[in-house]
Amino acid sequence: MTSPTAKLGYTAAGMTVVVAMLVPFLLMGIFAKGFTKLGLHVDEMYSGGPTARIIQAQGYTIEVHRAVYPHMLQTEKPFVQLDWKPAAALPAHVTESVDIDGDGQPDIRVSFAVPKDPKTPMRVDVDSLNPRYQAMHNVGKPKFSELIVRVDDTILVRVPLTKQ
Amino acid sequence: MAEAVCGPAAKMPPRTWGKAVLLTLPIALWSLFMSLRGLLQPNRSLQIASALTAAFMVALFFLMMKTSSTYRWRRWFFVVLGVLFPVGFIHNVMVLRGTMGIPIEEMIAGRTPFCFLPIPLLILPAALTKTLVFPGSILPGGGMSGAGMAAMVGLWLAITLVVGKGWCSYACFFGGIEEGMAALPKKAQWKKIDPRLRLVPWAVLLVMVLLSLALFEPAYCMWLCPFKAVSEYVAARNTLGLIQNGIFVLLFAALVIVLPLLTKKRTQCSFLCPFGAFQSIFNKTSVFDIKIDRTRCSPCVLCQKSCPTMSLTDDSIKKGETLMSCMKCGACVDACPKGAAVWHIKGTEVAVKPERARLMFLYAAWAMAAMFGGSIITEGLATILHLVL
Repeated sequence: MTSPTAKLGYTAAGMTVVVAMLVPFLLMGIFAKGFTKLGLHVDEMYSGGPTARIIQAQGYTIEVHRAVYPHMLQTEKPFVQLDWKPAAALPAHVTESVDIDGDGQPDIRVSFAVPKDPKTPMRVDVDSLNPRYQAMHNVGKPKFSELIVRVDDTILVRVPLTKQ
Repeated sequence: MAEAVCGPAAKMPPRTWGKAVLLTLPIALWSLFMSLRGLLQPNRSLQIASALTAAFMVALFFLMMKTSSTYRWRRWFFVVLGVLFPVGFIHNVMVLRGTMGIPIEEMIAGRTPFCFLPIPLLILPAALTKTLVFPGSILPGGGMSGAGMAAMVGLWLAITLVVGKGWCSYACFFGGIEEGMAALPKKAQWKKIDPRLRLVPWAVLLVMVLLSLALFEPAYCMWLCPFKAVSEYVAARNTLGLIQNGIFVLLFAALVIVLPLLTKKRTQCSFLCPFGAFQSIFNKTSVFDIKIDRTRCSPCVLCQKSCPTMSLTDDSIKKGETLMSCMKCGACVDACPKGAAVWHIKGTEVAVKPERARLMFLYAAWAMAAMFGGSIITEGLATILHLVL
């Protein structure tokens, strides 16, 4: 005679086979949805953080992101990300004073060329007009916290913050 | 209890063709269904690849049913999966990105493909700060982001629920290359392996989990993953990047190519993989396992020698168990001349209807293999056909 534990075992094994059949149609989707509902977000060191405000310019916008600070022993500096978009609407050379913190005073002066070929490596110069922001000269993309890169139709500049 | 057997020579005899065909029928239907998406595409390479994959998966399952041998046929699937994964993946990367190196802008855009290996490294930072320390997208983000991290996590959770640690034998698309390498030599050159090395993956897991939390980056992907050598790697922007890529290539050459040839073991899985160690935990939740029937076992240790991950020790054989690192590949069951190593369902008596346990496990595991591994094999095959035709 089959013992109760054996019955339980066979029932569980049978259910496992049924569950296997449900994986592509139901389970995978349920688990994936559950994961998205956990409210997790990709580390801002990669994503650049949420947009804090948008500055309207002539034919394009500059999105100013919230400052990003490194966690724990992360080796990057704190930074703020600025997005120029759409890149197609930008002049061949951008030189712009940007008020990052929204106090009406420019904080940095940014200067970069916009190459026609989106794959051309970019370089940026940033002059600091506010001691909170660090200057960068002829910088490409050496670190997540100080760079200029083109992502699709957006040009991203990350300006490092001073430690204080 | 018709299959309950006592005494020696209790190996399951080969089945008749009719019985084997009948037992294969459900998997044949499942494989056909899984290949429908490819078969209905207008792309001829994909249609042929889908049909070939379905036929391959059905043929292997039929042979498992006919011969009652599991490992021998599963290995064919696993090696083909391991070899064809880089083919499809590298082709996709080159088409979409033009380089196997991940540029920083792709990481910022969240288009780093997410595999299952970093999953255990993400848990602590996610639990403590709700942050995923991986430069990918949670939902599909275009380019190489694929279906997104949520889809991969969903797939991993679902398959793990079904096969537990069996993931490493029926779903992992990395282990096949070393399993193929381990199958090449007739005899192992290095037979004495320090059993303490089995603990290394746990140490790697612990260190990588803590490092990932401290540095807020997927430390294993950044520093130790040997499969970066055949998938994608950190774009070498500086000396640090060069060092990282050097480590990937060295680990791949040593643990995936050379050591499996010398030891006939899956050395990367046995002595490095932190995901494998993490996945071992799910052997405790799985209803299927492998047992050693002590009444039949004359300790010839053939099972121990045949185990690709050193999951059997003298002590564990005495207890009639495998270690928790057992990935249910079936090598020990195939190797045992006395039929003492048997498939088992928890709660049931050992060696009572072991073939029933094997069948139930294989239906579940092969369904997962055909669904997940099959789609990867199809993609790799389609890539080759696309380049050849």
